[in-house]
Amino acid sequence: MSSDREIRSALQRIQAPDELEAQRRAWPLVHGAFEAREPVTPGRRSLRPLLAAAVGIAILAAAVTPPGRALVGSVHDAFTDEKPKAKAALTSLPAPGPLLVNSRQGPWLVQTDGARRALGPWWEASWSPQAKYIVVTRGHELAAIDPAAKGAVRWARSRSHAVRGARWSPDGFRISYLDGRELRVVAGDNTGDGSLRRLVGATPPAWRPEAEHELAFSTVDGRIELVGTDSAKTVWRTGPGEVPTSLVWSEDGKRLLVLAERSLRVLDSNGRKLWNLGLPIGPSGVAFVRHSHRFVAIRYSTRTGRSDLVLYQAESVPGEARFLYSAPGDFGTLAVSPNGRWLLVGWINADQWLFLRLTAAKVRAVSNIAEQFGAGERVGPLSEAFPASVSWCCPASP
Amino acid sequence: MVPPGRQERAWIRGAQAGSASDLEALFREHWPRAHRAAFLVVQDAAAAEDIAQEAFLAAVRNLDRFDRRRPFGPWLHRIVVNRAIDWARRRVLRRETGAVELGEEEQDTGDFGNPFSEGIAAGLATLPPEQRAVIVLRYLLEYAPGEIAELLDLPRGTVNSRLRRGLDRLETILDRESA
Repeated sequence: MSSDREIRSALQRIQAPDELEAQRRAWPLVHGAFEAREPVTPGRRSLRPLLAAAVGIAILAAAVTPPGRALVGSVHDAFTDEKPKAKAALTSLPAPGPLLVNSRQGPWLVQTDGARRALGPWWEASWSPQAKYIVVTRGHELAAIDPAAKGAVRWARSRSHAVRGARWSPDGFRISYLDGRELRVVAGDNTGDGSLRRLVGATPPAWRPEAEHELAFSTVDGRIELVGTDSAKTVWRTGPGEVPTSLVWSEDGKRLLVLAERSLRVLDSNGRKLWNLGLPIGPSGVAFVRHSHRFVAIRYSTRTGRSDLVLYQAESVPGEARFLYSAPGDFGTLAVSPNGRWLLVGWINADQWLFLRLTAAKVRAVSNIAEQFGAGERVGPLSEAFPASVSWCCPASP
Repeated sequence: MVPPGRQERAWIRGAQAGSASDLEALFREHWPRAHRAAFLVVQDAAAAEDIAQEAFLAAVRNLDRFDRRRPFGPWLHRIVVNRAIDWARRRVLRRETGAVELGEEEQDTGDFGNPFSEGIAAGLATLPPEQRAVIVLRYLLEYAPGEIAELLDLPRGTVNSRLRRGLDRLETILDRESA
């Protein structure tokens, strides 16, 4: 047997990968946390036993069951009273890929190095599949703009009603949009515009990935219908339900999340309901984890006034929900980075974006989000100034 | 020359009083072994970095409550190793349930220095996280079994048996490789 000394010497010789760089990366974070800490005052100290008891109870509650036991680390991270030290400005993204931000003042493009650019006086924007173009709407107008050419308009068309919810098909050849309550489709080069359905729900339709021109939309009575846009034939249709606020496909096109104000329905590729979940009135949002049927959902608690991020499985059974993060107030936008490692979460009350590393308990925060995306001198509530949605490309998420 | 223990107490006292340079001295002193310990337990470069970072952040958050008469290392290592064990267990659990990893991390295997170290690292990877942790605490961080028992909140007998089983398994693997 090797001697203790040999084992000791062998272990001490092993270097962790990238050891020096890791140390260089860590110090600014540690130093930042040090600068941000508040020295304990007698008043605060008196609160600590209560806080410690609350944290202890939370940890104990998580630890009493075997699944809970596995979550203790996350629960502990989420239940501490500490907030991540927030950067005052967005100086870089933690993962490659640009962001398309829909703010109240119009769409913005954010590059990986943090450079931001307003895309012009449009109301809504959505990526083309490879982020080469962006489809935008404003009033009765639908247009395709080129982000690389300072937002130059490639083509535009006007409709008789307000145009919204424009989405590019995954192959880039079609764009669906709502013209009032009419669902229409136009080719990516602005030819062949035509009506698909006359009266539909207000939810932006969602193209099914990995399928040839199949589009899911909501009817006015909350049925979800999948239609082949080239043939205009219905592929499947569900029964009536709550009219959704958003429809989100998994990347393989085999799961569809139907998110409404009071419920979340999980459908399979044939429109069969796998399971559903009741939701309290409050902030909501869903985003699939890349290359999987797992998804993150915002769950708001009216009792505690906190928003939680919870991981579910879009399978026949939801599996054990996994708690990821929690904060007081409202979470808004969700977007997963193209490499699948980071989740962007809009924390509206704090006027922050949180970047959560999905593979470890690590959070980066950036504050002053409303101001950075054009809110300027805010007069209304923060929820109105905060960006409404973010999409991280490519492929775009959520 | 200032003895190491006294020097460390001075750094802690300075950091508690708000000195960033004293905190930096503590960080520089303790980061490499904390990071390496995390890496040897979790066997994943990104996770090890996160765990070591989180441990230092936790230490900073609790700096005011730290009793500076006590050494800093065991306090930090308790956080690092317990978090590393939790992380490694969760990964095992995810594998067992067949769930997909949230992100596909590249595996960087580190620099082993020599073939024996490489063998030890490979052998460690085959051990359960709890056995890996006691071996790392014993041989990398050089704690006595009684101290390891205190750090991990375990009976001393459990620490000894984990050490024994871990070393036996490492020996088998190293013998197989040398044969």
